[in-house]
Amino acid sequence: MWDNIFYFIMVPMVYLSFAVFLAGILFKGVIILSSEKYSPSMAVYPVKGRGPAGAIGESFLVPSAFRKSRLFWFFIIAFHAAFLLLIIGHLELIRDFSIIQVIPHDVFLGSGFVGIVLIVSTVYFLFRRFHTPFREISVAEDYVLLLLLFTTMIFGSHMNLAATWGIAGFDIPVEDYRTYLWSMVLFSPELPKGITYSPHYVILALHIFFANIFLMLFPFSKMIHSVFIFFAQNIKRK
Amino acid sequence: MEKEKTAAFKKVIKSRLNRNMRYYLDLCTRCGLCYDTCHVYQGIPKKEYSPVNRAEVVRKIFKKYFRPSGFFLPGWGDASAIDDHVLDELHEAAFSCTGCRRCMMYCPFGIDIPYILSIAKGILLENGTAPEELVMLADGAVEKGKSIDMFREGFTEVIRDLEKEVQARIGRDTPDGLIPLEKKDADILYVGLSGAHSIVHPAVIFNTAGDSWTLSYFEGVNFGAFAGDPEKTRLIAQRVIDEALRLNVKEVVMVECGTAYRIMKFLMGDLPFRVTSIVELIHRHISGGRIRIREGAVTAPLTYHDPCQLGRNGGVYDEPREILRLLCTDFREMSPTREYNWCCGGGGGLIALDNEEFRIKSGKPKRDQIVAAGAEIVVSACENCIMQLGTIVTGYSLDVEVWSLTELVAENLA
Repeated sequence: MWDNIFYFIMVPMVYLSFAVFLAGILFKGVIILSSEKYSPSMAVYPVKGRGPAGAIGESFLVPSAFRKSRLFWFFIIAFHAAFLLLIIGHLELIRDFSIIQVIPHDVFLGSGFVGIVLIVSTVYFLFRRFHTPFREISVAEDYVLLLLLFTTMIFGSHMNLAATWGIAGFDIPVEDYRTYLWSMVLFSPELPKGITYSPHYVILALHIFFANIFLMLFPFSKMIHSVFIFFAQNIKRK
Repeated sequence: MEKEKTAAFKKVIKSRLNRNMRYYLDLCTRCGLCYDTCHVYQGIPKKEYSPVNRAEVVRKIFKKYFRPSGFFLPGWGDASAIDDHVLDELHEAAFSCTGCRRCMMYCPFGIDIPYILSIAKGILLENGTAPEELVMLADGAVEKGKSIDMFREGFTEVIRDLEKEVQARIGRDTPDGLIPLEKKDADILYVGLSGAHSIVHPAVIFNTAGDSWTLSYFEGVNFGAFAGDPEKTRLIAQRVIDEALRLNVKEVVMVECGTAYRIMKFLMGDLPFRVTSIVELIHRHISGGRIRIREGAVTAPLTYHDPCQLGRNGGVYDEPREILRLLCTDFREMSPTREYNWCCGGGGGLIALDNEEFRIKSGKPKRDQIVAAGAEIVVSACENCIMQLGTIVTGYSLDVEVWSLTELVAENLA
């Protein structure tokens, strides 16, 4: 029975999650594009960094947070930078990308520290919400998303640390991840024995299970800020 | 809540869901960086006055009616149907906000919370519970635009009296023509307010500078915007636009009223004339040598309060400072200043409401700034701000004079 459940999580649910994610993003895009454009200027002065370049700069550097709380800003930057590295790391688990290997490094990226940074940042974001006044403005969505990230990262980090440092005494080799993920990309799913026979199979299945849920919630939750921020930042520059 | 009423509220929300609004409603992560950036929250530290909470009041009804999660799983994002309690929350959120947009300066996404609150105001208008004072004043202004002929004669008589005041101030032989009306092809159409001071002081400056100008029949203030009615906002501003087009003027100069300036300059589309604040015009005249002021005439410590709609939302920061640095010997900046300046608490039409105690409390950060600057004179360039600064000075028993920039210049012409 567990084999079937794990298979469901590792294959059909992954396809389902990506389908929901992509359809959700597309749906949001259609809603936005079909909404009336508001043309009057909504600028805030002085306009710092004009146009889309300014909007992108402010989106990535978050100067407003830097001004208000250096600690919060540090964790925002740490979290998002680590998240970006994590996406690159996962891409390299699919196949070799020479463009990413411009700076030669081992796969998975970061020797396990990327995951740790993410976990620590997520814990900070979560604990911050336990305090007044942030507790009062938090809703279930805020906690659920952070807990989903936390669980996904805990399991992911465990596997990464096991592979990097051999601390669990065994791991799933990169080649097996690549066999699995590349087969998923080609729509001919294959779960190599290196994964299914590994004691880490349950950990990997849980990692992917929580990631699947997170991915499906992404377009329909506040996670959409990762896309909309650039457009909103541009509004106050026009 | 009756079905018809809910349907009408949903219609209001839907009518405001343009592209910008959709970004703003979906974006917020409730990070709380804006939490204490509102002057009202500083004066009355209640969650209800935090910008994020104000926006959430609107967001939760948006989620309820326009998001599947709000319908199937309301607990996910605290989605809530509109009931009497929510209507009270919407009222408290919308009509305690001055629309200063200071919270935007601290939002990592640049969410315009006052803009979100326009949904709250729309719902309250639909419900008939928007502040009566603002609705009546907006209706009066719209009506004046429709039937200007009824007002023309009485207005002209008042202006003839004011011309005598201007004559006495600038020492001309005759008062005739010192406040021109209906002057076609004039360079400037000046839009004042209902108070005589908003006409006399500018008239002194225009005549001294030798401007070709004419006075508008209408007031610059836009109560439609304060009430949250986009159609009345447009109609009220359109009165001036039509007048400017009819008189074929080159430039519309707005009185010291931040909202009037912002609406005309930024929210009415492309106009075939220039829109300027009187502060900018005064600066231009001083720089061009058209008027001269008595430099260093004011020796008491003086500070400038940036009206939010003129500064943060209008970009006019340097002109008033350059004028004041010429006029006084001890100019002091408040801290924080310019785009981070605290709102005084009088904007958004709040000054027209019966809420003095609330405004004294919400004016606390401004009071603290004035005291910290050690200023004996506070100058501003917005009627709402000047009235609210007066309330703060009285409310906190400060030994401070409040001046309008135009008046200070008019009193100190060389």
